[in-house]
Amino acid sequence: MKDVLRILLPLLVWLASFSAIYGLHGIGCAAGWPDVALAGSSLFRLALLAAWIAAIVLQVAILIALRSTRFRADEGFAYRVSVALAWVGVVAILWTLFPLATVAECRVMG
Amino acid sequence: MLAGAGGILGLVLLLLGAAFRTRGRAPDEGRDVKVWIVGLGLGFTMSVLAALTVYGVYSGQQLMPRDGTDVVSVQAEARRWSWSFAYADRPGHITDGIMHIPAGRPVDVAITSADVVHSFWVPRLAGKLDAIPGHVNTIRIEADMPGTYEGLTAEYNGPGYSDHGFAVIAHDPQAWADFVAGGDR
Amino acid sequence: MTALRRHRRLSAIWASEPGWKGWTSSVNHTDLGRMFLATSFFFFFVGGVLAMLVRAQLATPHSAFADAGAFSQFFTMHGTIMMFLFAIPTFEGLAIYLLPKLLGTRDLAFPRLTAYGYWCYVFGGSMLLVAMVLGIAPDGGWFMYPPLTGPLHSPGINTDFWLIGITFVEISAIAAAVELTVSILKYRAPGMSLDKMPIFAWYALVTALMILTGFPPLILGSVLLELERAFGLPFFQVELGGDSLLWQHLFWLFGHPEVYIIFLPAAGVISTIIPVMARTTLLGYGWIVASAVALAFLSFGLWVHHMFTTGIPFMGLAFFSAASTLVAVPTGVQVFAWIGTLWKGRPELHLPMLHILGFFVTFLIGGLTGVMVAVVPFDWQVHDTAFVTAHLHYVLFGGFVFPILAGIYYWLPLFSGRRRFFRLGELAFALIFLGFHGTFLAMHWVGLLGQRRRIETYDAETGWGTINLISSISSFVMAIGLAMVLVDLLIHAFVSVRAARNPWKAGSLEWASMSPPPPYNFASLPQVDTRDPLHGDPDLPNRLARGEGYLGDPATDRRETLTVSIGAARPDFMVIYPGNTRLPIVMAAVTGLFFLSILLKLYWVTPLALAGVAALAVVWVWRLGTQMDQGPQEAGRGVTLPLAGETEKSPGWWGSVFLLVANATFFGSLLFGYAFLWTVAPGWPPQEWLAPSLLEFGAGTLAAVIAMLALRFAIRRNRRHGGALPRLALALGATAVTALVFATLLVRLPPADGHAYAATLFVLGAYGLFHALLVGLMLAFVIARVRRGYASAVRVAEFHIVLLWTDYLAGITVLSLLAAHVPGVLA
Repeated sequence: MKDVLRILLPLLVWLASFSAIYGLHGIGCAAGWPDVALAGSSLFRLALLAAWIAAIVLQVAILIALRSTRFRADEGFAYRVSVALAWVGVVAILWTLFPLATVAECRVMG
Repeated sequence: MLAGAGGILGLVLLLLGAAFRTRGRAPDEGRDVKVWIVGLGLGFTMSVLAALTVYGVYSGQQLMPRDGTDVVSVQAEARRWSWSFAYADRPGHITDGIMHIPAGRPVDVAITSADVVHSFWVPRLAGKLDAIPGHVNTIRIEADMPGTYEGLTAEYNGPGYSDHGFAVIAHDPQAWADFVAGGDR
Repeated sequence: MTALRRHRRLSAIWASEPGWKGWTSSVNHTDLGRMFLATSFFFFFVGGVLAMLVRAQLATPHSAFADAGAFSQFFTMHGTIMMFLFAIPTFEGLAIYLLPKLLGTRDLAFPRLTAYGYWCYVFGGSMLLVAMVLGIAPDGGWFMYPPLTGPLHSPGINTDFWLIGITFVEISAIAAAVELTVSILKYRAPGMSLDKMPIFAWYALVTALMILTGFPPLILGSVLLELERAFGLPFFQVELGGDSLLWQHLFWLFGHPEVYIIFLPAAGVISTIIPVMARTTLLGYGWIVASAVALAFLSFGLWVHHMFTTGIPFMGLAFFSAASTLVAVPTGVQVFAWIGTLWKGRPELHLPMLHILGFFVTFLIGGLTGVMVAVVPFDWQVHDTAFVTAHLHYVLFGGFVFPILAGIYYWLPLFSGRRRFFRLGELAFALIFLGFHGTFLAMHWVGLLGQRRRIETYDAETGWGTINLISSISSFVMAIGLAMVLVDLLIHAFVSVRAARNPWKAGSLEWASMSPPPPYNFASLPQVDTRDPLHGDPDLPNRLARGEGYLGDPATDRRETLTVSIGAARPDFMVIYPGNTRLPIVMAAVTGLFFLSILLKLYWVTPLALAGVAALAVVWVWRLGTQMDQGPQEAGRGVTLPLAGETEKSPGWWGSVFLLVANATFFGSLLFGYAFLWTVAPGWPPQEWLAPSLLEFGAGTLAAVIAMLALRFAIRRNRRHGGALPRLALALGATAVTALVFATLLVRLPPADGHAYAATLFVLGAYGLFHALLVGLMLAFVIARVRRGYASAVRVAEFHIVLLWTDYLAGITVLSLLAAHVPGVLA
């Protein structure tokens, strides 16, 4: 069961981070954070960036942990699959959330 | 986009067809994984998709409405099965089934619904935006030429759905001035 | 014992009752798998006829064939039937039929649950059929957006049929998912470690886990909408603090994973068939497993892409647009792995392979248009046009129907032990392929020209007439092709030509038993050490029939199998299955009575039906277990194993774990809904809060903790032989206090039909009350079992199952009370 959990963990964490940051974006837009200037940017952008960086760090930490002698899967197959999925987690967190660094804040398209 | 999709389809089908030719190559699992899974499966798909994603986000960004001084505001309210429009430039005036706008100027349409979910769509002017009860969504449209444009409802809303639509009349500056001034339009 | 005598003896133990009586009392997975598949293809036929009616109406402009009301029932029921009554049950049926054979075991984990799920499916599906025959079928589109489907705009019973019937059917999906998960993890042949599982089992495992987490949001949405319709709790009414967007979120939280729940089993079939047809092994097994898992997770991060036009900020759209393109990567990995497998081997063009080729062409086009739709500006134009309808048919027909047809023709010799006589299937394939592409290429085209989906007529001036006519004619060609498949199967059933065992020379275990398979599957269970056991040992079928594997010598009339450790597949316990029984069908009927009482608003029946379900559930579990310790059992090949009831982590424990996963997703979705309404719905904050009560909060939390501790003490005492009863009684008392706390919460709430706030808390409180009563029932059950001698220091399984539920109750109690009291404190 632990090996199955190792296989499921990296992307479970991605899903949690992705949903949480989407939620944060919704709350930020509703609360008017884009209008709060902070350190040359806005509270909104900085909050999202901070959350994103934390999520990336978490994802990388999982990758390192699943390769480490302490937490790695005992069995070769589960080890290979879990490490591959940990890489997917890193790519996914970068790929799916990159718009938060570049896109306009809270504007509805139209 | 269509050409790119066609190219990919052709490539994959070619590879698929070529699998059926006879050949005398010794199988080599390691090499096959490198070619098919790492090269084509990961490398090829990811580069195409990354390019497409960046393009999509960038081009969407370009479509975002920009601030302008000559933006006209219209409110659209949908109900089963009609649309009514109110105008910031002519307070108190409401038109049913016809939306008047000036040609050559950006127009912000604030869309809402009085009953169920509808969707505002003028195919020749812009994409769709839903009319949701309790929410106001704003879409930016602009008609380059004066004329009449067909508007449609694009979310199923019951038995009157097929014929539920409206017309957009884009006026030249003179006619728009008349309309705002209360001309009999 | 000779092979023939062993066959007779095992058949006598495992056989269902003969004739039609066997249908209602069978709990055998081979029987139920066949019944599932037959029923799901019946619904495929019904859904297909509805599609023909839709195409007949759209063939010409201004058609007078059907009016708007009938047309809306056609397209709603077509989508609903194909999604819920065909696609998902077909997966369930195929997996139920095949998995124990693929995994080298004798049945699924919970045979009676298989039967219960089947009957829930039949009864729930029948409710929708009845609605259709009476002309009062659902008509709001298969995704049922409120407020259109709310009490104001759809006052008729039509929508209730959908909400109640589909929820009833979903019980079978959840039941099957729990069962398949536990079966794949625990019920395998010894030695079949995770990396030696047939690839279909991996796909089925991933799909089952997705059902467990994907369906609860929809079940919650249906419950909320039905509560709004029946009792006026305003979850989706904007005037009273609700928001129709909540439905869209809940629906698509289910709806997008659903697409992959449908695709992944089909991909499992493809991954099984391609290597066999190419006389080789699957390229990149580990990569494919990783892709399937990645696909499953990524698909949960896509739901908002169905809501691109609802006015969500562009940044949010961009997140989901990026996630939608990313999900194509694991799909691409699988497609290229399959093509690489074909290159690696020497593919032969048998009929299953033709359907696989049909899959490749169709699914690729569907995938490419899917990537286009993921690009926001493009979706803005084609959303809600025939283009999207065409796209989704390419994905679903290409990604599901072609592979399933391939699978049917591939496993047909196993199903029947016969081979095909006429080459009707090849002609049928040609008609289906050409007809399909004619129908839906044309639909892409009119979609781009601006034809909206779900319109029942259009003007001749639009110029769409010819294209629609081509589409309609092609669709009838496709229908003729599908009918020919049916004819082919009927001929197959009557014209008997014995087939050799394993005609495709496959390596997986399902071909190691007889064809058609006997009710016990394997005379003895194999020891597996490669991914393709039959290739490594062609004599395996005979050795198994001679009883050289595990459990080859049934000592008594028990239905025996064994379970293995999850990772390395070492045998750990022996399992004794229950025999034939009508309990599942009776229980499904009483469950149906519950749903029917709500549908027909006969609310005095509802509590009676619930009590009936509870009573039957007690009978259900009471029949298991023994009043004596049995000790280690002889399992053959020199192995002795304890019985599953004499362990802490029994199959029932594992089943509870995964059922609680689904349950927790339901609860999480409810909390999400609460938070969503709070932040997004216009009518908040409510005028009146629940008055916070320290007594209520403290009593609830304390009682939950006491119940958890008392049960743990009871378990410890029981291990030391006796003294468990007082502690169990304490746990029961504490649970009663929890129930009381939830009851007072419900009473103290502001009127639930006044605002979505009170309505949500009402559901939260009712959910907590239900679970408190459930755990109370379980604890009372364990007390009775202890008193009657069904528990001992060794027979502890039931304690640990109840412990899981007690802990879960404690968790939801604390979270619910926080959600109910904290806002009032802050205000």
